Amino acid sequence: MGPGEIHERLRAAHGDAILEVQEALLDPVVVVKPERLHAVARFLRDDPALRCDTLRLVTGIDRPPEAIEVVYHLLSLTHRHEVRLRVRLTREDPLVVSLQDLWPTANWHEREIYDLLGVRFSGHPNLKRLLMPVDWVGHPLRKDYVKPPEYHGIPTDRKAVMERRVTAVAPAMHEAKDVPADCFMLINMGPHHPATHGVLNFLLETDGEILRRVRADVGYLHRGMEKIAEGMTYASTMPYTDRVDYLGAMFTNHGWALAAEKLAGIEVPRRAEFCRVIASELNRIASHQIATGSLAMDVGAYTPFLHWIRERETINNLTDRICGARLTYNYMRIGGVARDIDAETIEMTRRWLDHFEPMIDEFNQLISGNEIFVRRLANVTVISPEDAIGYALVGPNLRASGVNWDIRRDEPYSIYPEFQFDVITGQGWRGGVGDAFDRFWCRMLEMYESVKILRQALDRLPEGPIRAAVPRAFKPAANEVYARVEGPRGEAGFYVVADGSDKPYRARYRTGSFTALPMIERTAPGLMLADLVALIGSLDVIAPEVDR
Amino acid sequence: MNIIQQLADWIARSWLHVDPATWPAMWVVYAVMIAVAAFVTFCFVAIFAGPVSWIERRIAGRMQARIGPNRVGPQGVIQWLADGLKCLLKEDLRPSLADKWLFLISPYLVFTGMFATFVALPWGVNLIAADLNVGLLYLLAITGLVVIGILMAGWSSNSKWALFGGVRSTAQLVSYEIPSAFALMTVVIAAGTLSLQGIVRAQGGWPWDWYVFRNPFLFAAFFLSFTSAVAEGNRTPFDLPEAESELVAGYNVEYSGLRFLFFLFAEWANIYVMCAIATACFLGGWQIPGMTPEQVAATHGWANAGWQVLSIGIFIAKATVLVFFVIQLRWTLPRLRVDQLMVTCWKYLVPLALVAILGVLILMVLVPYRSVADYALRGVMVAVGAAIALAYARRIWMTFMADRELYRRMEGKPLWFPPYRLP
Repeated sequence: MGPGEIHERLRAAHGDAILEVQEALLDPVVVVKPERLHAVARFLRDDPALRCDTLRLVTGIDRPPEAIEVVYHLLSLTHRHEVRLRVRLTREDPLVVSLQDLWPTANWHEREIYDLLGVRFSGHPNLKRLLMPVDWVGHPLRKDYVKPPEYHGIPTDRKAVMERRVTAVAPAMHEAKDVPADCFMLINMGPHHPATHGVLNFLLETDGEILRRVRADVGYLHRGMEKIAEGMTYASTMPYTDRVDYLGAMFTNHGWALAAEKLAGIEVPRRAEFCRVIASELNRIASHQIATGSLAMDVGAYTPFLHWIRERETINNLTDRICGARLTYNYMRIGGVARDIDAETIEMTRRWLDHFEPMIDEFNQLISGNEIFVRRLANVTVISPEDAIGYALVGPNLRASGVNWDIRRDEPYSIYPEFQFDVITGQGWRGGVGDAFDRFWCRMLEMYESVKILRQALDRLPEGPIRAAVPRAFKPAANEVYARVEGPRGEAGFYVVADGSDKPYRARYRTGSFTALPMIERTAPGLMLADLVALIGSLDVIAPEVDR
Repeated sequence: MNIIQQLADWIARSWLHVDPATWPAMWVVYAVMIAVAAFVTFCFVAIFAGPVSWIERRIAGRMQARIGPNRVGPQGVIQWLADGLKCLLKEDLRPSLADKWLFLISPYLVFTGMFATFVALPWGVNLIAADLNVGLLYLLAITGLVVIGILMAGWSSNSKWALFGGVRSTAQLVSYEIPSAFALMTVVIAAGTLSLQGIVRAQGGWPWDWYVFRNPFLFAAFFLSFTSAVAEGNRTPFDLPEAESELVAGYNVEYSGLRFLFFLFAEWANIYVMCAIATACFLGGWQIPGMTPEQVAATHGWANAGWQVLSIGIFIAKATVLVFFVIQLRWTLPRLRVDQLMVTCWKYLVPLALVAILGVLILMVLVPYRSVADYALRGVMVAVGAAIALAYARRIWMTFMADRELYRRMEGKPLWFPPYRLP
């Protein structure tokens, strides 16, 4: 269904709730009365013709002096269309109804907005700060936010930190470390724990080995990427996007470039698109290697991980040749790519692909068929398709639950429609559909698909320029756009609000791990401690993506 | 009259010129001799635990497409000395809320449990510290001390992760004692003695004289006891007490310096001990092919010494092959979950061990010792064992060849190096 038809249908049912339809925007938005938001959202979710089953993103935008806006990105996986809703709230006391009863994924998004913009959500069960410390003063993403001079005796100014020696120890105030109501043992798993893949903290309430409740405490890696982007030009934000997802930097690069190109209507040269796909798919293999290897390491097999590191070394060398970096690539540019791929690199990549495909088989011989490994993963932490959609899981985690959705095929971007590849969905290979083994095996099979795409892209790489002519003063007109790419951890989405200047007015990063964490909180009760480790590993959560 | 007492008496007679039976200060000589013997055994443990740690790290390096320690000494052979020295110089940390005395002594308890097993290991034709007539029972009992040490370490650290490790370890060790003991009972039944020297003497030098190839039930008992031993040694796939990806480091998470080293020391010594027990009980121990112990005893002088040394070499070689296998297991397999671990023990290993005992008893009645049927059975079992060993070697060789070919095609040089030309 096109946007016009959707708005027509919405207007027919809830005409009185709609204030305005912003058709002129690149991604049209329906402005809804705050008090009718819940009814409209419920209609969008339940109407058989619309069925917006997943809430992709909730964003708060501060627009002084008059309003704070909250924007909801809804997506229908059944009908493959999108709806965006917007509510305008007063800046003095922004209050809107929580949608977490319709889409559980809204829970964390709303907490983040409460934390960073001060919007309160009525009916939210746990409206606490998410990323900032619980006793932080102010809401950093407000435009008139003034940084407090110090926090528990620690100066917030960089210069003052250099000059002053901090001796006071701040109390542990991040997540309220409340004592559990019943007499279970409370354990901190993290922030420094080998299985949490970064600086993440899980508060576990356990009954012996059995977990009763798990709460994720995030924010240890919160660098305020979105606030930084507001002070940077579009082009100079690119290297920061590398740090959002350090294992899949090519995809966050790509998403940001896509958003900027969509805003300015830039056509990317074909050779640049091929370069992007080649670099991205190499990066996808590297990221899946870390995911599958570290999952094996989490369940106790150390050797497979190091074999994947050995293979990844070659990918790093290739990306080094392609873009001059091994981890934080900064390869994409608005309108193209930074460097061309030379003939020798292509030859090296071909040779490596010939080498790599048998290596996947060997890896499978080493670990994937291992009886202990299979028993540790099969039928463990089964995620039903309903849960996966409700919690807005994306990428391999969503597909492993049997939902056939791949942005490369279903919302094509770049030149992906030209390539032949299969979308891997979970089949319940060794247990129920959507268990940890399915998520592992989906990633293994996706490596074969990436190899397929790489071979085609290398064969068909056309000649031509690698960058479109983009004005040095890149100033897209006031508009709003949402661009998404299929990253290794799922949808890497970039929602950019432009105001006509050379800096984005608001940039919002939507990452796969952010939505995967609430899923851990939901799935973990009743599991054993060792299963939690397998769950975190199989969802491929990395901390910088959660905190941004 | 054991060797130490004989030696002490000899010293008293020949050096001090007193009669050991009547001299009142004789206990001083005995005490000094015991201390010396303990020190010698301690050094013995050290020179087994140390190189095993180096071997393990080099093998792990090879299995994981990396190099491993190769800097200290030729090929890094004395890396373990450097590591030990480093650990000695580290600060000995103790958490302020730890239970002080339990925290301080538990590494020594663990180590003592491991160290004491060396007393009863039959190293050669005549080389054994104490040939106890309940040797096997002693080994099973003394390793129980390890459980107490580990539980103490986990509890006294005042850390929940350490407690998890300690409790897991206790559950695991106590459970796996049972199949381990049952499986070793088959050997006791077959040999008719609990003395380890007696068990070794009841076997022979050739593979068909070993207990493992005597009949199918002893063959099964070998694998059962070895699996249980791996579990008792906290080795992968049963390394739950120190599962580094779940419990960080388990019961030893709060330890540092020398005390931490003692835990590792005990672990590596334990690998050797469990392989030595398996060797003595199932793989013929120090028996020299073609030479009976009586023939060795009949020789004199240098010939006798040569045969003695050869027997020690044979024992150590067999045990080292098993050590290699344990290390390979560790770097290949993932870890079981706690419930799976218990299921493996109680549902599979314990009943199977009982079946093995029953089977050995029945076969002892049905098949007379050294009859034609007995030798036929042994021949079949040796063939089965050889087939398994061949399949194992072939798999490794095939993977090695495939890998070498792949890397040669991509990089123009092989990834692997022959053992004589290590990087």
